[in-house]
Amino acid sequence: MVKKKIVIIISICLVHFFLNYAQAVEPDEILENSEQELRARDISKNIRCMVCQNQSIDESNAPLAKDLRILIREKIKEGKNNDEIYKFLTDRYGDFILLNPPFKLNTLVLWIFPFIFFGIGIFIIFFHNKKSRKN
Amino acid sequence: MKKQLLIIPFIFFLFISLTFFYLLIIERNPSELPSNLLNKKIPKFETESLLKNERFISSKEFGKEKILVNFFATWCKPCRAEHDYIKRFSKEKGIRIIGINYKDNPKKTVEWLRVLGNPYSDIPIDKDGRIAIDWGVYGIPETFVINSNGIIKYRHIGPVTGKIYKKINLLIKDIE
Repeated sequence: MVKKKIVIIISICLVHFFLNYAQAVEPDEILENSEQELRARDISKNIRCMVCQNQSIDESNAPLAKDLRILIREKIKEGKNNDEIYKFLTDRYGDFILLNPPFKLNTLVLWIFPFIFFGIGIFIIFFHNKKSRKN
Repeated sequence: MKKQLLIIPFIFFLFISLTFFYLLIIERNPSELPSNLLNKKIPKFETESLLKNERFISSKEFGKEKILVNFFATWCKPCRAEHDYIKRFSKEKGIRIIGINYKDNPKKTVEWLRVLGNPYSDIPIDKDGRIAIDWGVYGIPETFVINSNGIIKYRHIGPVTGKIYKKINLLIKDIE
């Protein structure tokens, strides 16, 4: 009896483990062509869920995220390439929908600053060492 | 020389602090995003109309007069909260209101409008939410102000409040 219960509990845990692994994508959304499905997953991981804002649509259970996942799969089936799909989404929702901000004039500071700070850091360390050696 | 250089990090720190403090005190909602469609033509769409027997064709409706587009649904509580303001807009001169019924039950919508009053001149149905995606909508209610050339001039995310009502009203008089 106890053994049976343990088996049931373990199987429930296993099911939940795999459910989590499948993330928010629901079975009826998945494309038959696994190559296309993989592409859809890759794009979805890079698209922000506008409702929850810090999740990708691949992870989000929001209805809009589901709609966008289905839309992306439709576009893939229509034969659209990744750039065309990204453009479709940014035309409507702006660059904010991309989790990876593009390299543009207004994001220049965002991309360049770390390198500038790194340069300043190296300069300070070098400068400081030189001074202390003299002392 | 060295002492003078030491002041640089402090100035830098002060600058960053002031920037953050400024962003903290000005009135803004960081989760609210500017529309990517601002100052662009409205996305074209064609769908069934809830009130009329003919199809709703956007190119026939927009581009003649100023239009307020309101995405709404009966299941959305904030839509009910802003409904009085939408009704007030319908009494204003010089603007027509189109309500896009987002993922809703037509019967419920008709009943909802019968009880609360109908400010909309036409109600295109967005059954699967695709029209909303074309408009960059991510959470209803959302309200757009369209000028008489069919260009989006303003977008508000969330329910229209007294403050937003005044703002939109001024804008309507300002745009052509």
